Amino acid sequence: MATATVETAVAARVKKVAVVLATGSYQREAPTTVLRLVEKLLQRGVDVNVWAFEEAVTLTNRDQIDHNEPGSLQKLLGEKHPNVGRFIDQMLRAGLHGAKLDWVSCILCVQERGVEKHQMGGAIVGTLGDLWKFVKAADRVIAIPTYR
Amino acid sequence: MARYLIVDSRDLTEYTGGRFIQKTAEQLQASGNQVTLFLIENGVIAARQGSQMSANLTALSQQGATVLADDISCSARGVLRLADGVTQASVDRLADLIVEGSDKVLWY
Repeated sequence: MATATVETAVAARVKKVAVVLATGSYQREAPTTVLRLVEKLLQRGVDVNVWAFEEAVTLTNRDQIDHNEPGSLQKLLGEKHPNVGRFIDQMLRAGLHGAKLDWVSCILCVQERGVEKHQMGGAIVGTLGDLWKFVKAADRVIAIPTYR
Repeated sequence: MARYLIVDSRDLTEYTGGRFIQKTAEQLQASGNQVTLFLIENGVIAARQGSQMSANLTALSQQGATVLADDISCSARGVLRLADGVTQASVDRLADLIVEGSDKVLWY
């Protein structure tokens, strides 16, 4: 009986999570929250697949430029205002030696926003078929709602 | 019985959906499920001690649900004192709940 309980517990452990995200840079806090969570899931050995669509495809625009913070605030905030894409890039690279993060940007959304040719290395331009496969393969699907 | 993890990232007073999500948590708990309500981003505003909405969160915890508030979201909004029944937690706890502590995850 005790063995069965342990087996159940092990079987219940989540190994793959799919995240569906539609919020872009500088809109809301959701991308930052997702990245905070993704980092912790990767640390736990959980593979994470992110499906980014609508404005979220701008998160992986490699041509984003860090702006200087106002001089009077640099002691508090640091010299530069970092963009979210920088952290995505770091996490995609971290996946090389541990749990894996795949980040797919919707092809229609990148084309509509003119960022198809600007996606950072590691971000994959994909289709709804990729979303379907992410959902099908996931132990948990987390859909982050957008504000309308 | 299922273990439900409800993540609330919106101010519960901002949209009418806030009432719905509280109702959902109450009903799931009352139906014999195990509910964890994790407040994050603007969701933590409702957990400020003395706020009108905080009474609902206290009542939910008295029903047996676990109500948690993200530490970084609280400090970013100056939410220093939490309502009775609400406990501060980190995003590590959220990750643990997703990986091993829930059967279903709802994100509002």
